[in-house]
Amino acid sequence: MTAALMVDGLRAGYGATTVLHGVDLVVPAGAAVALLGANGAGKTTLLKTIAGTIPAQSGSIALFGDDITHRPADARARAGVCLLPEGRGIFRNLTVRENLAMQNRGRDVEAAAEQIVARFPRLGSRMQQTAGTLSGGEQQMLSLARALSTDPAVVLADELSVGLAPVVVDDILAAVSGMRAEGRSILIVEQYVSRVLDLVDYVYLLHKGRIVFVGEPQQCDDGKVFDQYLGATA
Amino acid sequence: MRDYLPFIVTGLATGSVYALAAMGIVVTYTTSGVFNFAHGTVGMVAAYAFYELREQHGLPTWLSILLAVFVLGPAIGLVIDRVLLRRIQGATTATYITVSLGLLVFLQGGALAIYGPATRTIDPIFSQSTFRFLDVTIGYDEVTLMAIAAVGGLALFAFFRRTHAGLQTRAVVDDPELTSLMGTSPGRVTTLSWMLGCTFASLAGVLLAPLLGVDSVGLTLLAIQAFGAATVGRLVSLPGAYLGALAIGVGADLSKKFVVDHPTLSGFPTSFPFLVLFAVLLFSKPGRFAELTKVSQQARQRAKVVASTRFAARPLVALAAAALVLPAFTSDPRMLDITVALAFVLIFSSLSLLMGLSRQVSLCHAVFVVFGATNLSRLQDAGVPFLPALLIGALIMVPVAALLALPAIRLSGLFLAIATFGFGVLAQNLLFLTDLSFGNEGLRSVSRPDFIVDFSDDRAFYYVVLAIVLAGVCVVELIRVTRLGRILRALADSPTGVQSLGVVPTAARVLVFCVSGFLAAIAGGLVASVPGSVTPATFDYFQSLLWVTILATTGALTLGGAVLAAVLLRLVPVVFTSPTVIEYQPVLFGLAAIVLSQAPNGIATMFKVPDAEALGRSTRAKLPRSRRHAERAVVG
Repeated sequence: MTAALMVDGLRAGYGATTVLHGVDLVVPAGAAVALLGANGAGKTTLLKTIAGTIPAQSGSIALFGDDITHRPADARARAGVCLLPEGRGIFRNLTVRENLAMQNRGRDVEAAAEQIVARFPRLGSRMQQTAGTLSGGEQQMLSLARALSTDPAVVLADELSVGLAPVVVDDILAAVSGMRAEGRSILIVEQYVSRVLDLVDYVYLLHKGRIVFVGEPQQCDDGKVFDQYLGATA
Repeated sequence: MRDYLPFIVTGLATGSVYALAAMGIVVTYTTSGVFNFAHGTVGMVAAYAFYELREQHGLPTWLSILLAVFVLGPAIGLVIDRVLLRRIQGATTATYITVSLGLLVFLQGGALAIYGPATRTIDPIFSQSTFRFLDVTIGYDEVTLMAIAAVGGLALFAFFRRTHAGLQTRAVVDDPELTSLMGTSPGRVTTLSWMLGCTFASLAGVLLAPLLGVDSVGLTLLAIQAFGAATVGRLVSLPGAYLGALAIGVGADLSKKFVVDHPTLSGFPTSFPFLVLFAVLLFSKPGRFAELTKVSQQARQRAKVVASTRFAARPLVALAAAALVLPAFTSDPRMLDITVALAFVLIFSSLSLLMGLSRQVSLCHAVFVVFGATNLSRLQDAGVPFLPALLIGALIMVPVAALLALPAIRLSGLFLAIATFGFGVLAQNLLFLTDLSFGNEGLRSVSRPDFIVDFSDDRAFYYVVLAIVLAGVCVVELIRVTRLGRILRALADSPTGVQSLGVVPTAARVLVFCVSGFLAAIAGGLVASVPGSVTPATFDYFQSLLWVTILATTGALTLGGAVLAAVLLRLVPVVFTSPTVIEYQPVLFGLAAIVLSQAPNGIATMFKVPDAEALGRSTRAKLPRSRRHAERAVVG
């Protein structure tokens, strides 16, 4: 069976600086994978390179066996890669409805809106509001809802819980496990390591642009791996 | 009130045309982050096309408009985006300014070379009949212009609010990266916005053509009316730009009524948009104007190739030696040419102080040159000898430079460029004809110094100019190695970083503007005293733009670039005397500036490559050592 996402020998970075030094990573179809690492390890760079907003210097990225290494970000998005960027993946100056309309034209907007209200009732009354004026949690919900409305095959989630109240984090992480239940493949970067370990099938540990550990969540239980690379246990 | 109504009506009509151009620039600027200085020039090209099609080839009016506005306009936008801008995507503001100035100089120079300076008259497009309303005679053409602009504005509004393409455009304005993550190519959207923006510019150009006539200069000024109006809308608001344009149109026409009694202020109505532009930039709250340019990390790194940090002793000696032996190989009539070229070395050197060292683009350098010359002339009339008059005349320009630097303190590079662009045109229209400068005669005579030796001899005077130019160039080169130079280089890199060190950047930015203006004024006095007179036409605002493109081409980071610029501008036409060479010179400089916009130091880069990659490597190579050092410091 082909993997949903196969990253092979990927090198990438900014200008003359290389951040990723040959990363190999596999997200099996329908699986959830956690990508962990200290600040500056290259987690966000890896997700952005997979999504296509940073060009790969060498190596390859395959989506269900299709080489997408040299396709622009918008083509990858249409092919089913969905990056939920760090911070909020929403257009702050557009209304909630317009945010949804970006990917769902015409009648689909109504369908998408209904679907979203069903999942996040709080957004229902906010359809005409400018997205930038939503609370942090609502913004993140919109970002997730928007992503789900396009039915992506692979979701790349970058630090969804940053700056959110613990209660909201529960909702967000519940939504992530919901995505997995729907059969989507997920690559997630998360600061709440222990909580994300409950969600995923595999763990990758990124250190200074290289993968230093691959395993199942249970292998991380004793914390030795994290002591070595993350400093204090999370 | 009744007296003013006719002026309000004509003002609203012309203001409506400005509104079309202003909305065009808002569309392109907000979507692409690139401010197109050549926006008015695009309108000029469309107007010439309209002239060719209708007046020369006898096409019907509607077909000419269709082709000039709705075919050529989008085509120009497509070329600007796909050919000029796509290639340098993510570049710094300075690069984009250089490219759009290059385009302006290229197109305007081309129009001048092909059509000459004469204004072509164009038959009216709309009916010239009038009707009476509230005791005011109103032309149907005026009403038509207002209606077209209103429809254009509403159409844009509907496009942005009601269509999916409009939504995608607003999404790109908001966050281009996120737009691409959502499956929409920001590149396509940007191209569309350039096509749209240039169509509006073309429409404005064609509508203005019967009112102003078609020539290479008059219609380019459309840009400044549009810039003024767009500034009212902070360059981002369509309704703001629309209302700003109407206000500027009405204000300019109303002021016509007042200046009838004041001949010296005859330039005021044409200058009104620039006054608005300058005032808005100067008095708006800080932070109201933010640059939208999307600079990539790569470009930022490349831009870090800084201006020369060393005192250019060897190039200076070489320049002096070459200049000393040159007269031996030069025939008498050529002496004047090389003397002027020498003075231009100082002009370019002073410009490189801004462009190369502090990375500020000044688009009104010719104003300093002109005033240096006319101040010298007026002081000589008052009996002051040459050298003191030259010095005092240049010192008078120091406060002017300080005033101009105000936007530089408050606003970022792009807005300084726009402000200086406005000031250059303002000075030419308003100040040159007053007694502060040329006065009514339009020509000022300047006499050469007459102490000890008789300097009416061209060879003797050459050495005077040489001495002064070398002294001026030395000042520029000295600034590079002083604290001021270091602060300016650091400011070009990171203003926040400089402030965090406790250095107030204001003084450095103002000071460098003052020094640059002072030296340009000195050079202006020298240039004028070679032939013994100066006219306003010699240094119009276009020269300022041309100089910037030349220096961007030859390299603003080192003395060599300034010398090369002077040689290319002043000596090439001396050697190649064919009129074609002279006519197409600006075209070539415009083209060169576009091509070399991203070379860190123009042509000079080709001889000595300040390799950004190598720079990156060397910093990295140093990193472990400094880290070791730091660790040792912690341990020790």
